[in-house]
Amino acid sequence: MKLDNMKAQMRKGVLELCILNLLSAEAMYTSDIIEKLKSSQLVVVEGTLYPLLTRLKNAGFLEYYWMESNYGPPRKYFKITDEGRTFLKGLTDSWVEINEAVSLTSHKS
Amino acid sequence: MNKTININLGGYAFTIDEDAFETANHYLNTLTRHFGGGEGAAEIMQDIETRMGELVNRNKGTRTIVNKVDILEAISVLGTPEELRDIDFAESTTNEKKKDTSSFQIKTGKRLYRDGDDKVIGGVCSGLASYFGIQDAVWVRVAFVLLGLAGGASFIIYAVLWAIVPVAKTVSERLEMMGEPTNVNNIAKMVKEELEELSDKLHDTFSKKDSKFSCRKSPKQDNTGDPKTSGWTWDMKTRQPEKLEAPYNHKDFV
Repeated sequence: MKLDNMKAQMRKGVLELCILNLLSAEAMYTSDIIEKLKSSQLVVVEGTLYPLLTRLKNAGFLEYYWMESNYGPPRKYFKITDEGRTFLKGLTDSWVEINEAVSLTSHKS
Repeated sequence: MNKTININLGGYAFTIDEDAFETANHYLNTLTRHFGGGEGAAEIMQDIETRMGELVNRNKGTRTIVNKVDILEAISVLGTPEELRDIDFAESTTNEKKKDTSSFQIKTGKRLYRDGDDKVIGGVCSGLASYFGIQDAVWVRVAFVLLGLAGGASFIIYAVLWAIVPVAKTVSERLEMMGEPTNVNNIAKMVKEELEELSDKLHDTFSKKDSKFSCRKSPKQDNTGDPKTSGWTWDMKTRQPEKLEAPYNHKDFV
């Protein structure tokens, strides 16, 4: 059992939750999603996010559309689907459970 | 001075230094290989390329030409292939790794081949030894000979096996003969071993030749083992070029 590996696994599970959380509020441009996540210290390098977004999209939780941009090529905007919302609900529930479990065990002493 | 190249990076048009271009190109190619077989790999790469374009565009500011530093900065933000390997596929690798090992193993079963590298007559015995996991092929040979002397039909069996069992020619056939899975690692290992063997052999032959040359007094004394390259040699006594009695045809060299 390696700490780094565990960390990566935990971060990864939470990352999907965070992305869905962000997108449940509004449709976002990929780079903006990244900026937000980076400010939350959750993402080390950006490249990790693209596979994740693509996976979520392929799973039907996200969809994207193109928007013209004044500064460069058209931008890819992601938004959450109904399926994604259901999934997010499930994730949030289990997150609350986990959170409770962790705080319950860590404040025992 | 540096040559520049015009590129389209994720929809952004850049004029880029040649060395910077090489770096960017290498980076993207490595990533493409990294995501290679994965689902939606092309899409991921497209996203990364677009983002790279955006980052480079931001880095270069008002400069006209993109340099290597811009590219390296963009790469450090996006993550090197090593960093990406550690984190992002941590989850999916658990399934994919399993898949990988199974898909790389083409055939795992042992198969009966004749061993052309370890043979006395036809390599039948050594092939059988590998097949049944006997360490030393000598025992199989002894058994064959004993059975033959005891009036058994082992000579005929040997001849039949010689005729019908194929010899293990390719690396993968040799692996099958030894019952090792035919995967990329094993093949590489095998090829490496064979190369080492070959270089040993070459080394031996050359060192033998050297010793032969060094103890030779004059070319006339033992010209039987000499490599005969041309029909001519130098006679030490007469100091005249002399034609050897050539055991070869002139035609061979034309």
